[in-house]
Amino acid sequence: MPNKKSLHIESSGQLCVYCGACVGICPLNCIYLDETRITFDERVCTRCEICVKACPVGAIEIG
Amino acid sequence: MEDRKTDVLVIGAGPAGSMTAKWAAKHGANVLMIEKRQEIGSPVRCGEGMSKEWLHDVGIRPGRWINVEVEGARIFAPNEKVFEINEKHAGNEVGYVVERDGFDKQLAIDAANAGVEVKLKTAAVAILKEHGRVVGAKVKEFGQTYEVRAPITVGADGFESQVGRWAGIPTNIATRDMDTCLQYRMTNVDSDLRYCDFYLGKCAPGGYVWIFPKAEGLANVGIGVQVSQVANPADARTYLDRWIDKHPGYAKGKKIDMVGGGVSISPPLKQTVGDGIMLVGDAARMIDPLTGGGIANGCIAGKICGTVAAEAVAAGDVSKEFLQKYEKGWRARIEEKLYRNWLAKEKLVTLSDETFDKVIDALQDVRLEKLSVHNILKAVRDKHPDVTREFEAFL
Repeated sequence: MPNKKSLHIESSGQLCVYCGACVGICPLNCIYLDETRITFDERVCTRCEICVKACPVGAIEIG
Repeated sequence: MEDRKTDVLVIGAGPAGSMTAKWAAKHGANVLMIEKRQEIGSPVRCGEGMSKEWLHDVGIRPGRWINVEVEGARIFAPNEKVFEINEKHAGNEVGYVVERDGFDKQLAIDAANAGVEVKLKTAAVAILKEHGRVVGAKVKEFGQTYEVRAPITVGADGFESQVGRWAGIPTNIATRDMDTCLQYRMTNVDSDLRYCDFYLGKCAPGGYVWIFPKAEGLANVGIGVQVSQVANPADARTYLDRWIDKHPGYAKGKKIDMVGGGVSISPPLKQTVGDGIMLVGDAARMIDPLTGGGIANGCIAGKICGTVAAEAVAAGDVSKEFLQKYEKGWRARIEEKLYRNWLAKEKLVTLSDETFDKVIDALQDVRLEKLSVHNILKAVRDKHPDVTREFEAFL
């Protein structure tokens, strides 16, 4: 898909509290929580931005 | 590492997982329960308030995990008028404020003592399927991957459940059926040890602010905001901080802990079993959509889940049809209330602050013999007939 917006999940701990809210809401099941690391599948993600809203601390940015 | 076999594989060692594991073991099954974290119950992701009248039924004895036994709940309208519900009237919604990590550990200990094998630092990374049936999971223990084959696999992997999705059971939730939550543990606050407090209205769109007292001057102060009503990133934190700033008894407090999380506030799932697979607890979206409480339902369903899992193994029949016994069993216990409370939630999230004020105001004058939706609506109709039409569907 051309020109996808960039998505950034700040999971180094500066913002992220590792709660898994984004993982649970992702309609495509493409976000993964591994104790203290959150990753997402770039190819599957459609930038629907639901995770951005679900994050209680604003650790996910789409630009 | 070598592949291995067991009768029942439980993925996740929260309350629902431990209860499932314990009751499956008590009914004669070999049970392996895996937990991806290194410590069961930690980090805590919970407001730590729970009801208590169900504990005895499922075989949980009160223990040192109880911080405070509250007398009741106080519901605050946006205008800060309060409606007090004592423990008897609130029925099952209030009871204890607990040390959740201690509670989870106790349930895991109970499971282990019933014969369950527990593995820490062990995550499920995929489901094993053969001919469309689930036959176990691929797991990673301390970085080593191997297969666990089991006639029954139980997904007790919480709100962010993967197991159900892997198994092909739809567990997706809509944004209006989820709250994004944040909580601080605060010291030096004016919380009241006798009450769990709930603040309704636009201070927490589609959710509420809660105060659950942990000890004198110490409380969990948290918020849930409906995801569909989030306007800006980090709204949960913004709204919670704003609420605290406006309440001097809490603004003077100091934060010593922070917890985030997602809570499903959805109607019950249509399906929680498949061939060789069962879902339980938050993974099965069993959280009460009105209160956001999930422990009681998870434990009640866990007992049924474990019992049926063991029966299925003993019968040599782990088909979806056999597992209907669990599906029917948990629904008989909690489904009606889940659905009713989801409908109530769908209504409540639409109410204006003025309407909340009127509802709480109407309740002020009423000695409710028994707190029921019907009685509440009757009180509202008597005092504020203008808002009754908002609730016509419930009458």
